[in-house]
Amino acid sequence: MFAQIEMLGAKAIRSFEELGRLSLFLITVVSNIFTRPFGFNDLVKQIAFIGARSMPIILLSGLFTGMVLALQFYDVLARFGSVDLMGSAVSLSLIQELGPVMTALMIIARVGSATCAEIAIMRNEQQFDALTCMAVSPYRYVMVPRFLAALISVPLLTAIFNLIGIAGGYIVGVFIKGLSGTAYMQTIIDTITWSDLKMSIVKSFIFAIIIIWISMGKGFFVHLEKGVSGAEAVGRVTTKAVVASAISMLFADYIASSFLI
Amino acid sequence: MPENSNQSSDTEVLDASVLIEVSHLSSSYGERQVLKDINLSVNQGEILVIMGGSGSGKSTLLRNMLGLMKPSSGEILFEGMNICHATRTELLKLRRSMGVAFQGGALLSSLSVGDNIKLPLRQHTDLDENTISIMARLKLELMSLANFEDLMPSELSGGMLKRAGLARAVIMDPKILFFDEPSAGLDPVTSVELDQLILQLRTAMSMTIVVVTHELESAFAIADRIAVLFDGELVITGTVDEIRACKDERVSNLINRTPREVQVDAEKYLSRLTKGAD
Amino acid sequence: MSFDCSEHLSYKVLHLTGEIDLSNSSKVRRCLLDILNNERSVIVDFSELKYIDSSGMATLVEGLNIANKKGLSLTIAAANGAPLQVLELTRLNQVFKIVDSVSEIRE
Repeated sequence: MFAQIEMLGAKAIRSFEELGRLSLFLITVVSNIFTRPFGFNDLVKQIAFIGARSMPIILLSGLFTGMVLALQFYDVLARFGSVDLMGSAVSLSLIQELGPVMTALMIIARVGSATCAEIAIMRNEQQFDALTCMAVSPYRYVMVPRFLAALISVPLLTAIFNLIGIAGGYIVGVFIKGLSGTAYMQTIIDTITWSDLKMSIVKSFIFAIIIIWISMGKGFFVHLEKGVSGAEAVGRVTTKAVVASAISMLFADYIASSFLI
Repeated sequence: MPENSNQSSDTEVLDASVLIEVSHLSSSYGERQVLKDINLSVNQGEILVIMGGSGSGKSTLLRNMLGLMKPSSGEILFEGMNICHATRTELLKLRRSMGVAFQGGALLSSLSVGDNIKLPLRQHTDLDENTISIMARLKLELMSLANFEDLMPSELSGGMLKRAGLARAVIMDPKILFFDEPSAGLDPVTSVELDQLILQLRTAMSMTIVVVTHELESAFAIADRIAVLFDGELVITGTVDEIRACKDERVSNLINRTPREVQVDAEKYLSRLTKGAD
Repeated sequence: MSFDCSEHLSYKVLHLTGEIDLSNSSKVRRCLLDILNNERSVIVDFSELKYIDSSGMATLVEGLNIANKKGLSLTIAAANGAPLQVLELTRLNQVFKIVDSVSEIRE
């Protein structure tokens, strides 16, 4: 029995160590943002990867999400005789909640996993050691461009998700359920306030930080994973990064919602 | 300046000044002690080979010398400066006169071979892009990689990656070059060519070179002095002849490549082999 | 490191003294390019050069290339010691015209 308590204790200690490591990692990345020389080219490359190339999946998932929302709300609203509120219902759900969360999940799936794996492989191939020995900071050169690119791209992608979702709701509401197009748009204009938009923006920023921080951090410390090495370790940290990002994001969503709603 | 007492009188050393001094270096991973009280010096202009089998601690020693990890005790002095207590600026300055060639090259996967080699120049100098381009190509020619400038690392073989990594390590003509396992994964012919290159670099560019390897032939071919590590301890540091003449079992086993003879208890061995049979 | 220029017959002579490395090779480069832009053939005098690194060599290579394009010449004189070894190591001794001394050039 003592052995199991020991194991539990060891696990707890390791978790705290990891939390500490990741915190120091984040602080170091942030403190390197203003260090010269600025890697503008790398930043643009990363925005292209994280932002531009995520557009297809954001557009698709946004559209379908909006369409499903419209179908669901139609059913509920019809029971209360308030189908005219469709526009505001769909847009509120998207802007306050689904936009940031779904965008974050898509980014975790696509960018989080790829970034974590890429950085883990760099670690395994001693690329970070090489950079350090060349007197180039791995934090400034590799991490900062990705970090800033996420901060720039994810909120923008969230906004795009919201817009296309509203459009999807419009398509279902107007063309399938026969609601008035002008009514749909009008309720949106009447209902959505600046604080709703603020919620969307704040959440997307927070999610962006969580996702890129955990993905890069887990990859960066792949060499400290016990019991595995090489390709297996890369796979393991990538899985952990995706899961941890998703759960942390959802938790942050709850906290943010409770403050901002 | 302290003179290395292990030097035999007929060994020519280009300059007797000590570049790196490792004193009482000990290193542990958790509870496991990997290096025990290592004392080693690297003289200017020499080729020092650090040899040892796997588990001997040579990679840890290298990482400590490169400043990639801090020792649990002891110190490492680079031209009198203690790198364990150096400020970031001091360490940065030191690193510009150091070149490191890692196992497998450690090239950045997102940059072409040429851009990888030019990286230190672009980050640390104001040289004109024309100059940088010619410098990179000079090094590529030296490494017989002339036409591979625009390829990506993923398109190169293991041996080519290594040579590209070496080209990057020497692009700024560093004072001291560290080479981690140069021969690993290379065929014998390329390995010999690489040895020749190392010797040429030392002479033509006045480079001090520290090589970590377990390959005997290369070590004997290029070393001015060899330091033998066994199980975290520095067994002996000396010239090739002194190493050959060493009576210590751990050294002679390494040199003569005799596998340690394992004694078996005949009865127990047989029963282990036939366990479960009727 | 220092360098200065003089004349020998129709050539401009660039005397290099001391060590050329990353810290000063760009100065040498500017001087060399100026000479070539003034349509002068040049002799680079290595007699007092103790050390030259790849940035210095690259500068000379660039100079040679420009000289060839303009129909001018770039000759190295009195290479010895470490600089000579660098020329051999990089096989540039087969690319540059190398003479033993400036005075050897008669026309």
